[in-house]
Amino acid sequence: MALPPILVLGIFIGLPIGLAFFLSIGYTGGLNEVISIIGQDVRGRDGKLFTLQAYKDVIADPRFAGDLKTTLIVSFVATILVLIFSIGVGLLQRLRGGKLSSILTGLSLTPLFIPVVISSWALYTFYGSAGLYRTIFNSFGLDIPQITSTMLAVIIGSIWTSLPFAILMVTSGFQSVPNALIEAAQDAGASLITIIRTVMLPLALIPIIIVATFTSIGVLGSFTIPYFLGPNQPTMFGVEITNFFTAYNRPQQSVVMAFIVFAAASGIAISYIWANFRSAKESGRV
Amino acid sequence: MANQNGQGLELVGLRKILGGRVIIDDLNLVVNKGEMVSLLGPSGCGKTTTLRMIAGFLIPESGKVFLAGKDVTEIGPEKRPSAMVFQNYALWPHMTVFKNVAYPLKVRKMSKSEIEKRVHDVLELVNLMHHKDSRPAQISGGEQQRVALARALVQEPDILLLDEPLSNLDAKLRVKVREDIRELQRRLGITTVIVTHDQDEALSISDRIAVMNDGRIEQFSTPQELYDAPQTEYVANFIGSLNRVTGSYENGAISAGSDVIGIRPEDVFFSKNQVPGSVAATVTLVVPRGHFYEVYLKRNDAELRAFVSSEVPKAGDAGFANITKALIYRDGKLVRTA
Repeated sequence: MALPPILVLGIFIGLPIGLAFFLSIGYTGGLNEVISIIGQDVRGRDGKLFTLQAYKDVIADPRFAGDLKTTLIVSFVATILVLIFSIGVGLLQRLRGGKLSSILTGLSLTPLFIPVVISSWALYTFYGSAGLYRTIFNSFGLDIPQITSTMLAVIIGSIWTSLPFAILMVTSGFQSVPNALIEAAQDAGASLITIIRTVMLPLALIPIIIVATFTSIGVLGSFTIPYFLGPNQPTMFGVEITNFFTAYNRPQQSVVMAFIVFAAASGIAISYIWANFRSAKESGRV
Repeated sequence: MANQNGQGLELVGLRKILGGRVIIDDLNLVVNKGEMVSLLGPSGCGKTTTLRMIAGFLIPESGKVFLAGKDVTEIGPEKRPSAMVFQNYALWPHMTVFKNVAYPLKVRKMSKSEIEKRVHDVLELVNLMHHKDSRPAQISGGEQQRVALARALVQEPDILLLDEPLSNLDAKLRVKVREDIRELQRRLGITTVIVTHDQDEALSISDRIAVMNDGRIEQFSTPQELYDAPQTEYVANFIGSLNRVTGSYENGAISAGSDVIGIRPEDVFFSKNQVPGSVAATVTLVVPRGHFYEVYLKRNDAELRAFVSSEVPKAGDAGFANITKALIYRDGKLVRTA
């Protein structure tokens, strides 16, 4: 029963990952032979068990430090802002309800129905050098710096694409906190801030962690948004990996970068597993 | 009537509208200090709404709530000198038993040593010290109930509010926990209001019971008074078992009439021999009810049920049935007992 999906996963995901990994440590023969012949600066293992020369190349390249910094800053800031917005809307919806929170939730779901490439263009034309945003300020005689081709534009775009899922998750997390648990805290003498800090946030922590992991991994590996809106150099890894693979014809180095990003994402994934473990512990399953 | 100077609870002319419907209308109640009072009634009669107004979760449209002599009508639950035990206990699943109980003291910014001491004392009181590091999901329903009680008691409130605290426990445990609650309440002398729809529970642990119907208090008396002299037909029906017959009652016999005659089954006696006031009767059905039998009797003037615990007759037996006490109601109000 489970064999067909395992085979599909093995052939289409497992095998390419394996090949890429072996290419990154210098295995240039076999199925990696063609790419090794076409690509530039491919480092072979020269009879040794493996070589980390390609990793050394990438790390020594000054572009790498810049890209890493850009990617981490954008991912971190976008994740924090997405968390702040989604927790804010979720709390408003749970504690106050009413029209404002419904409108905010509805609005925040809009990006779900707009393809990323279209929204990227929309943001580009809005925040670009001759975009609506600058035009409006210009008509009042104010020369506002353009936002596109900066990290800020990538952050704005990342928030735009990540917010709908985040709001859905966090809102449902807060909604599932029973009224009685909030009222019990109120009855015990807790102020609203204390209730949020000691009861609501801990009880919605698992959806919040899921949002944090998915958002940060999503932004970390994003391509379309930084490609349209981001700076040329340094840029995000999603764009840089593509540049290395196509424009610079350095497939081995692009694979190495992909593995470095993968390692970073794995670290985030561990927090996700921990969150699941914690939830199991709380409900007495572990 | 005012006990604004006293230390208990007083509700004056409470009115509450929810979803366009009047839930509570002109409700008045005085609970003395140290007294345990039940709000008893069927689902939807407004008892929980009343309790929530006492706790501060609902603000009444009109009327006043006095707790320990202070007007608290407009004060939120976090500032009221009351503590509530919720129906599903409402324990925070991410905190241990100790942290759940310590929470009210922590938000009051008490010192660590003081918190430790008071939580230990109250956990000893409810016999849960061995579970102080457990999470709510790891202990039984009865233990969770005691944690909820400990969390309320640790606040040393002027008034303890219990919202159907036993409804999630099985029958045996319910009896044990209600006795524990009563014992604790007596020992601490804490004013307590308990909401329940279980008359057994109310009758066995309350000093006084307020029977509620449709947002009003039908009768507020001691359990004995409530059982012996229910002031309205509704209360008579709600508390205990009742034979309800329409007619006119005179000297143990029922004739045509428009009064409602309420007769407790334990006030109906069947015997083979005729006694003054008894009427010829046949046994139609005998139902065992554990420690007693419910005997269905057909008299010439009415069909009645009797509770019998010894010399149980059989279906088809002929004899005589007499009534030793009857409650006579006109327009739903008690007019006399005979």
